[in-house]
Amino acid sequence: MTVLTDTAARVEGATKVFGEGDTAVRALDDMTVAFDRGRFTAIMGPSGSGKSTLLHCVAGLDNLTEGSAYIGDVRLGDLSEKQLTLLRRKSVGFVFQAFNLIPTLRADENITLPVDIAGEHPDEEWFNIVVRTMRLEDRLSHRPSELSGGQQQRVAAARALMSRPEIVFADEPSGNLDSKATDELLQFLRRAVDEFGQTIVMVTHDPIAAAYADKVVFLADGRCVGEMTGPTVESILDHMKALGG
Amino acid sequence: MLKLSWKGAMAHKGRLALMMIAVVLGVGFVAGTYVFTDTAKDAFDELLQQEIGDSVIVRQEIEFSASWDVGRVPASLLPAIEELPGVDRTLPFVQGWAQLLDKQGELIGGNGPPTFAMSWAEGMEELDPTRLVEGDIPRQDGEVAIDLYSAEQNDYMVGDTIDILTIEGVEEFKIVGLAGYGDMDNFVTATAALFDVETAQRVAGFDDEYSLIYVVAEPGVDREQLQAAVAGVLPEGTEAILSEVTIDEAQEEVDEIFGIFNRVFLVFGLIAIFVASFLIQNTYRIVVAQRTKELAMLRAVGATGAQVYWVVMAEALIMGIVASAIGIGAGVLLAVGLKVLLAAFGIQFPQGSLTLLPRTIIVGLIVGTVVTVISALLPARKASRVPPVAALREIQSTFFKSLRLRAMIGLGIVAAGVTALLVGLYADLGNGLLLTGVGAGVVFVGVSVIAPFFARYFGRVAGSPLPVADGVTGRLAQENAVRKPRRTAATASALMIGVALVTVIATLGATFKGTIEETVRDEVVAEYQVQVTGFGDPLSRGLSPDLAVELRSLPEVEVAAVYRSGEWRKPGTGGEETGAGPHFASSIGYLIAVDDDMDEVMRLDVSEGDFDDLGPNGVMLHETYAEEEGLSVGDPFSIEYPSGVVGEYDVVAIYGADLFGGGAASGDLIISMETFEANYDYELDQMVIIRLADGVDAEAVRPTLEAVVDGYPNAELNNAEEYIDKVGAQLDMMLNIVTGLLGMAIIIALLGITNTLSLSIMERKREIGLLRAVGMSRAQVQRMVYWESVLIAIFGAALGLSVGLALGVAVATAVGGLSITLPWVSLAVYALAAAIGGIIAAILPAYRGSRTDLLEAIAFE
Repeated sequence: MTVLTDTAARVEGATKVFGEGDTAVRALDDMTVAFDRGRFTAIMGPSGSGKSTLLHCVAGLDNLTEGSAYIGDVRLGDLSEKQLTLLRRKSVGFVFQAFNLIPTLRADENITLPVDIAGEHPDEEWFNIVVRTMRLEDRLSHRPSELSGGQQQRVAAARALMSRPEIVFADEPSGNLDSKATDELLQFLRRAVDEFGQTIVMVTHDPIAAAYADKVVFLADGRCVGEMTGPTVESILDHMKALGG
Repeated sequence: MLKLSWKGAMAHKGRLALMMIAVVLGVGFVAGTYVFTDTAKDAFDELLQQEIGDSVIVRQEIEFSASWDVGRVPASLLPAIEELPGVDRTLPFVQGWAQLLDKQGELIGGNGPPTFAMSWAEGMEELDPTRLVEGDIPRQDGEVAIDLYSAEQNDYMVGDTIDILTIEGVEEFKIVGLAGYGDMDNFVTATAALFDVETAQRVAGFDDEYSLIYVVAEPGVDREQLQAAVAGVLPEGTEAILSEVTIDEAQEEVDEIFGIFNRVFLVFGLIAIFVASFLIQNTYRIVVAQRTKELAMLRAVGATGAQVYWVVMAEALIMGIVASAIGIGAGVLLAVGLKVLLAAFGIQFPQGSLTLLPRTIIVGLIVGTVVTVISALLPARKASRVPPVAALREIQSTFFKSLRLRAMIGLGIVAAGVTALLVGLYADLGNGLLLTGVGAGVVFVGVSVIAPFFARYFGRVAGSPLPVADGVTGRLAQENAVRKPRRTAATASALMIGVALVTVIATLGATFKGTIEETVRDEVVAEYQVQVTGFGDPLSRGLSPDLAVELRSLPEVEVAAVYRSGEWRKPGTGGEETGAGPHFASSIGYLIAVDDDMDEVMRLDVSEGDFDDLGPNGVMLHETYAEEEGLSVGDPFSIEYPSGVVGEYDVVAIYGADLFGGGAASGDLIISMETFEANYDYELDQMVIIRLADGVDAEAVRPTLEAVVDGYPNAELNNAEEYIDKVGAQLDMMLNIVTGLLGMAIIIALLGITNTLSLSIMERKREIGLLRAVGMSRAQVQRMVYWESVLIAIFGAALGLSVGLALGVAVATAVGGLSITLPWVSLAVYALAAAIGGIIAAILPAYRGSRTDLLEAIAFE
């Protein structure tokens, strides 16, 4: 039994079935996995392995057919829709692969979005730190259409950090970026973990991105089939070859 | 291709339904109007054909008429006619005015339709649709039969006594029977009190006269020969006609009345359709933008631009036809509903099945289909221009193809519309009104073309309170409302039309009221007026002359002057047939006859000549009319009276007062009471104007005056303020009806907002998903949509209020002689109503938006 306070989020015996009868798909199959606080964890696996589903369920965006999901000590299945919404506002940050930003708002407004939604005032000092960390000082007044792909993702990352959530979930954040932008983004995420103790869980199929993590969790067919600490690009590639994925 | 079009249509049932509803409403209004008027006309035609028996009718020769009065024939003619060979019997007939009183002493009827006193003799049922429903016909003095409807509404039964107001005052009668007209319970909305012939003469104020004499031929006698024989014994000014002629005249009357009703309602129907076309075009534009990928794919696999064009047009055509067909059905329902509604208000029509003419079906189909197809033209063209490469790349169609250029073009269109409008208003054309309407329509189109230019500024300004009021929710709503200025402007423009029109109505109403107020204050020197209660045609009701006499006899009253009105026309402007009912011919004018002490109670503002010269040979002309006709004091002037008699007079004065702002008496000329009595049979006064003696306190003497007025149930005493209020109330009632009719256009416009919002939310699915993912609650999402809708609605209202004010002022100025007043309160109310309308329109889209499936929305394809 791991000490609960060290786990930022986890699932226990999680099963998620889509569809019924003959067309049923078991996206998650009795999976148990925990994500350590203050760590950068990557989730990898071939398509159909359930990595996106896992992310959605542990982030409170979808519910499990069986089993439980926890953020901190809070069991997500116990929460009402309204409570889940509040949880997402305060305790969870998101970075998606694309369409992360509201096109009609400026970059700075996008960053403070969750805080504004809560009707609260953003912490100015923290805002400046985050902006500096993501190197967005001179892009703040721009609209998303005026930012490069990499800059957009950095804005999204800044937003995810702005409310100082318990955990940040990133779903293929570098999927649409070139290698340089990928490097930049992942470095910033790394810094967020190292300098601010943020917890980040990232789904990715890119070994280069996964190499930035502290630990890689491998999924296949809805189950956890392996973990690797201190990953490098080579060791990840080797492991994936061994898995056949 | 057709299959593709069908699939495309069915895939988006929601937006299809909304577009179709708009067309159905518009076509339904138009078709319903036609069905209603056709049905009513046919029902009356049938009634008249069936119920009016063959006879020869003796009556006064009347050239033209604006009243229900059919004239007089002397009673002395009867013996001469009866002696003629071939005459089986004669039936004299009297028709005049009388009003029934209910059990509380209040008047029955009198608010619009006439109230008749008629005679009824044995044998009438064969000649006239009047029929006895219950009891017996009146046979002696003191007996009366009343119409069934009045009896039922007021709890009267055969055997009861009833008070009736006549020219002789209030009298009690015993109800011996109840009557109907054809299968209707009242006399086509009029009330009737039926007496035996002598009593009818007395009660209606006929001295040895009748209105008509029916002459029935013996069996076998040729009626035309009889007609000639009867004509031979008639004096000058009287004629003998076959009863068929009255049928023709009555049918013409019916045609004219319903023709006007038809035209008026059609206008509203066309306005509704005009608004619907905005909705349809906007929807197609949005949908084409959304289906860009689909269309591009078609092009990528080899479809030509033309084929894409026809796919869109085919869908529009099919939808138009189907919606029009449904609309015609809706129209029939509307006509039925209208009949039922009117019946509840006592306005009955003869029974009959609904008349659905081929013309109605054709017009409905054509109008609905053409409007739909035309609205789809431009979007279809845009669709045909989608390049195949758009299937592979995300093409952002936010080409800001100069909104500036578009604004210029729009300005040009507005200028063209304004020109047409002004020409219609000021040039002396036959169809000036039509041109004005077309001009207004063009102005609307032009403003809607310019509108996107203003949308952003408006959003910034009007939306500025939103971020303050509702944080980021408000901010997002503000941005969303104007991020596609063309779309917002198109949606708002539909609302602009309805709002503009009600604003025009409100402006005209306020102007008329303001003018009346000014006129009364300027011109009425007297402290009190006595007028007829309720409202209605001045030629079919009025005050007993005894009232003025009584008032004059009071020591506190210095002057009690009366006036009457009558119809006239310039000799030589002919061609109008006579009839037993009001005509709306433009060649008929109204004149006023006044007592010679009228100048002591009114400021007549005589600029030339002298009022005292009026006498039996003079006329006074209003200065505007005099200027138009190029006449001045000393010139000769001819008046043709309804009987055809032409009187020759001299112009003795020119006056400026805009007398008597209400009713038909906005006259061009004034004659003396002597002249009037010599040429008209109207014996009722329209108003008594009272000036009190010096030193008499107006308030203190009021009870004394009221005591006199109380003896005349259809008279009411008003001081200047009350008079202004009364006229104002009448105006308000009419304005409210018109505003209500425009409601259809406004409903369609609000449907347009719902439509646009739904489509926009569909487009923004990802964005909404993202917002929900980062913690926006469902309620916040809903509020976001509500704010956006309110902004769009207020934009439309702002456009509408501005254009409406301009149009209203233009029309009021063109009418001339009015003091323009702006209806500030109404404007505020309309703006508020628009905002509320926006909220209502957004209910469904906001709900759907807040229920956006999170996962679906954020999943990346």
